[in-house]
Amino acid sequence: MNTKVDSLSEPVWNLAELLERVDNDQELLRDLLNIFKDDFPLTMRSLELAIAAGDLKNSARLGHTLKGMLSSLGGVRTAAAAARLEVLASAGETASLKGALDALKCEAASLLPELEAYMAEVRH
Amino acid sequence: MKILIADDDALSRRLLEKTLERAGYEVTAVENGKQALEHLCKLEGPRLALLDWVMPEVDGPGVCRAVRKRSEQTYVYMVLLTSKGTKEETVLGLESGADDYLIKPFDTEELRARLRVGERILLLEDRLVEARENMRFRATHDPLTSLLNRGAIMDLLARELHRSHREKKSTTILLGDVDHFKRVNDTYGHIVGDQVLIEIANRLLGTVRSYDFVGRYGGEEFLVVLNSCDPAFAPARAEAIRKSVSNRTIQTAKGALDLTMSLGALLSSDWGLRPVEELLHEVDTALYKAKASGRDCLRIAQPITKPELTIAPLLPQLLRLRR
Repeated sequence: MNTKVDSLSEPVWNLAELLERVDNDQELLRDLLNIFKDDFPLTMRSLELAIAAGDLKNSARLGHTLKGMLSSLGGVRTAAAAARLEVLASAGETASLKGALDALKCEAASLLPELEAYMAEVRH
Repeated sequence: MKILIADDDALSRRLLEKTLERAGYEVTAVENGKQALEHLCKLEGPRLALLDWVMPEVDGPGVCRAVRKRSEQTYVYMVLLTSKGTKEETVLGLESGADDYLIKPFDTEELRARLRVGERILLLEDRLVEARENMRFRATHDPLTSLLNRGAIMDLLARELHRSHREKKSTTILLGDVDHFKRVNDTYGHIVGDQVLIEIANRLLGTVRSYDFVGRYGGEEFLVVLNSCDPAFAPARAEAIRKSVSNRTIQTAKGALDLTMSLGALLSSDWGLRPVEELLHEVDTALYKAKASGRDCLRIAQPITKPELTIAPLLPQLLRLRR
């Protein structure tokens, strides 16, 4: 199964959409980024363990959780990668999960620096 | 207005919380379906709810189903908010009892607009409940005095007698009649007569306990049911109720009037399961005696105790008859 993310035309982080969603509330935006900074690595770690253990149910659930938090934050491409992983896990495509996880990590690797940069910028 | 958010994702929860607080809602945010149910099933709990589909303990559709199973509670308007979006999932969500369905990530304006729809539905429900309660009140209360009407107090009395029999408690039935009330109507007119009845109704209500019943039995006749009233104290309580009418003048549009009430009482802790009509006949006889004794007094009837019907003692005779 194709694990490539087909949303490459989308920005890595749609900040404009997120700002609209938070009504340009910078304080709320900082809150959300901080929550993400805490929750994302933990959820990713749980997902890695679930995939390694062949736990499809939890893989699908964690993929769903990641999809939700990433899409709320405007991380469109990473959210799409998480969605793909959720679909694969729900369909029992065990063999494809590792590739989907790599794709998700790859997208996250593009997203996280952008978030970090923004947080550093608004801190000053 | 109170609103509940249930979402296991802290980020979505915080975003929703802030968005809704900004829109003027009083927000409660929880992280699983079990906590959501606890809040939604509270008596004064939120009536608007935004529920994530995938949640620990109980999922969004599970919360909807559980809330819809409750009866006789106010309506809760529930919106499922999730990243699931297929037609089958939409149908499943709505079939579980959700009123609406929004796909994540939500658009703030659309979310607010959909919640306003929910508020309109809840307002409509409030109006319907209010209209139903008004109709129920009118069907069970006397329009002049706002006391229970004859049908309603007879029903309550029958229920109370069953309860007191079951719990081996005593009930006291009082039937009062305003003395020479016809003279009031004839002399001062019906408007003054109505003012007198309203004032007496208020005095009776003010004299009994919150769990006793007071009803307008007929024109100037009032029925009072003293629940769980020890027969030893009942005469004194009956006298206090009777004197609440005569102990001070009644102010009317045509001046102050001095009025009295005659009272018949029936008190017992062991009536068996006798028909209400039979007991009322006895208390009516006691009231008649009070009238015949010069009015403005209390007469107490002792009920005839009839044990519950049992055929056991008659069995030998019945068996003989069969032979």
